[in-house]
Amino acid sequence: MLASVERKVAIVLFVLSILYLISSFQLPAFPYAIVDADALPKGLGFLLIALSILLFIQNPIEDRKKSDIKKDEVWMLLAVAGLIFVYILLFELLGFVVITILFLLVTSRLLGYTKWKTLIAVSIGFTLVLYFSFNYLLQIYLPQGILPF
Amino acid sequence: MDTISNMLYGFQVVLTFQNIMFVFIGVLAGTLIGMLPGLGPISAIAIMIPLSYGMDPASALILMAGVYYGAVFGGSTSSILLNAPGISGTVATSFDGYPLAKQGQAGKALAIAAISSFAGGTVSVVALMLVAPLMASFAVSFGPTEYFALMLLGLTAIASLSEGSTVKALISATIGLIIATIGVDQQTGTQRFTFGNPNLLEGIDFLIIALGLFALAEVCSLILSRKSKMMDGNSNVGSLKITKKEAKEISGPIARHSVLGFILGVLPGAGATIASFMSYITEKKISKDPSSFGKGNIKGLAAPETSNNAATSGAFVPLLTLGIPGSGTTAVLLGALLVVGVQPGPLMLTDHPDVFWGVIASMYLGNLFLLVLNLPLIPFIARILYIPKALLISLVIIFCMIGVYGVSFSTFDLYLLLAFGVIGFIMRLLNFPAAPLILAFILGGMMEQSFRQALTISNGSYLTFFDSTVTIVLLILSLLSLTLPFIKSKLSKRAAEDEEEHLAS
Repeated sequence: MLASVERKVAIVLFVLSILYLISSFQLPAFPYAIVDADALPKGLGFLLIALSILLFIQNPIEDRKKSDIKKDEVWMLLAVAGLIFVYILLFELLGFVVITILFLLVTSRLLGYTKWKTLIAVSIGFTLVLYFSFNYLLQIYLPQGILPF
Repeated sequence: MDTISNMLYGFQVVLTFQNIMFVFIGVLAGTLIGMLPGLGPISAIAIMIPLSYGMDPASALILMAGVYYGAVFGGSTSSILLNAPGISGTVATSFDGYPLAKQGQAGKALAIAAISSFAGGTVSVVALMLVAPLMASFAVSFGPTEYFALMLLGLTAIASLSEGSTVKALISATIGLIIATIGVDQQTGTQRFTFGNPNLLEGIDFLIIALGLFALAEVCSLILSRKSKMMDGNSNVGSLKITKKEAKEISGPIARHSVLGFILGVLPGAGATIASFMSYITEKKISKDPSSFGKGNIKGLAAPETSNNAATSGAFVPLLTLGIPGSGTTAVLLGALLVVGVQPGPLMLTDHPDVFWGVIASMYLGNLFLLVLNLPLIPFIARILYIPKALLISLVIIFCMIGVYGVSFSTFDLYLLLAFGVIGFIMRLLNFPAAPLILAFILGGMMEQSFRQALTISNGSYLTFFDSTVTIVLLILSLLSLTLPFIKSKLSKRAAEDEEEHLAS
């Protein structure tokens, strides 16, 4: 079981290094360079091929850490990843303040935080403090989106 | 005395209201983030980087360094109270710290940890102050081949010293180097692996990789463990007092391990984690009563705590004098420095003496602040461990997002961040260490540059790598370091036996 996972990883890495090598060989040549831009990528590509072969043939080291994840936990991870994706998608559109408050509310609730009053207070307070300290103290402008300030 | 006048100059830099504030903010943030199980110094520094934009370089490094040693300092608290080390450098702290806490002596354990950390930190800052200028004057003569060999040594050392399979660590490092080749080539202007995407022309920002592989991947682990509470009701840590006899008892280990820790910190690849384990093992070995280790022996607590903090300052020697980080954490620090426009290296002493001496002086101050934060105030600070995980997870995600957006102002980079978070989590599941990847990524550009410089100078002859004795020695050392895993597997076998013994008793 463990060995087969390791071998699958090795095969994936092998394929990746072949793809990387192919694109390094397609890099345009620069006439006046003693060592051109493709030298290092080619070397690294071959190195990764060698290492993935080593990974394939070596005996896997028994790790004491078990990394079993239950099915509903996988869904939870995917859900949070999905929420982050939506967050990025709407980040510049809705603006930092609106989307961040929504994100904090939805994500914390999804992860099982039930005290609504604290949650609402923290979400709004945290977001506003961050927004104003970035925009006015650090002068790093976060997207304002649909809000007028 | 030269050193004394330089130090006075350093304190002159630090002792302004603004910089004192930065030291304080840095160590406080470091302590808090380091205390949270899982979020280590790399995440702490990466999360704090946005604060440093636009700062002058000295203040930025003072802040970031504070976050770093603050995190190592703070990590011990959760090791002792929860048996859940905040960072890997304090795992050895939990061996004897947690049993002490279980015996109702949490306060004493915290006090010993704070005192040993303070002593280790302070002694090694003195060593840093004395060693760094020597190292810098030696390194001034280094050419591109020496630098290339030095960076290669850093990579092979971290790969062979990291946990688990060396092949996997080497694969991580190679992938880090590969990611570093994305973008416009600095010497010929050729676009490499950008796939026509203008966002990739300048390559991938190191902050995206640091936050993705470390902070976001940690978020995934936090999600999986969200149901277990960080701390149960009891916040009473008990008396913080230690007796005279105990103070005498720990003075020996403190003296020994501040030196050992510093030396291990200077070496590439080693760092706080390995230093703390080495110290724990040696202290146990020379002890008259080794069987009491793991049951709440205060020497077993003082040794790793002194050593991990000493190693932290030690790690600044190669970073400041050679410009070459020896670990994942110092690699991120280097990235932060490059953002504010300082290239550390042997010339930093003459070009930016304010940064160099300022940061060293700030460490004295920072260690003092940490002592205050971690001794009388610890019962209050430990309350951060009550933050419900569900809330903490979403806040950390937002910090990561802002950090990246604040550098690039592009949502493309946020998608990349998410992708690296997923990659980081998969790497964890498959036991690929992430530290070699970030170190290789940051060294990648510099390595390629010095490699090609060397060959350009020699007109393409590879023999140039065998011209200088220093280069040859370094190359041999890199090869030798790859044989370390065999020695290590013997050591870890012994550690495993120790642990079994510990469990059986």
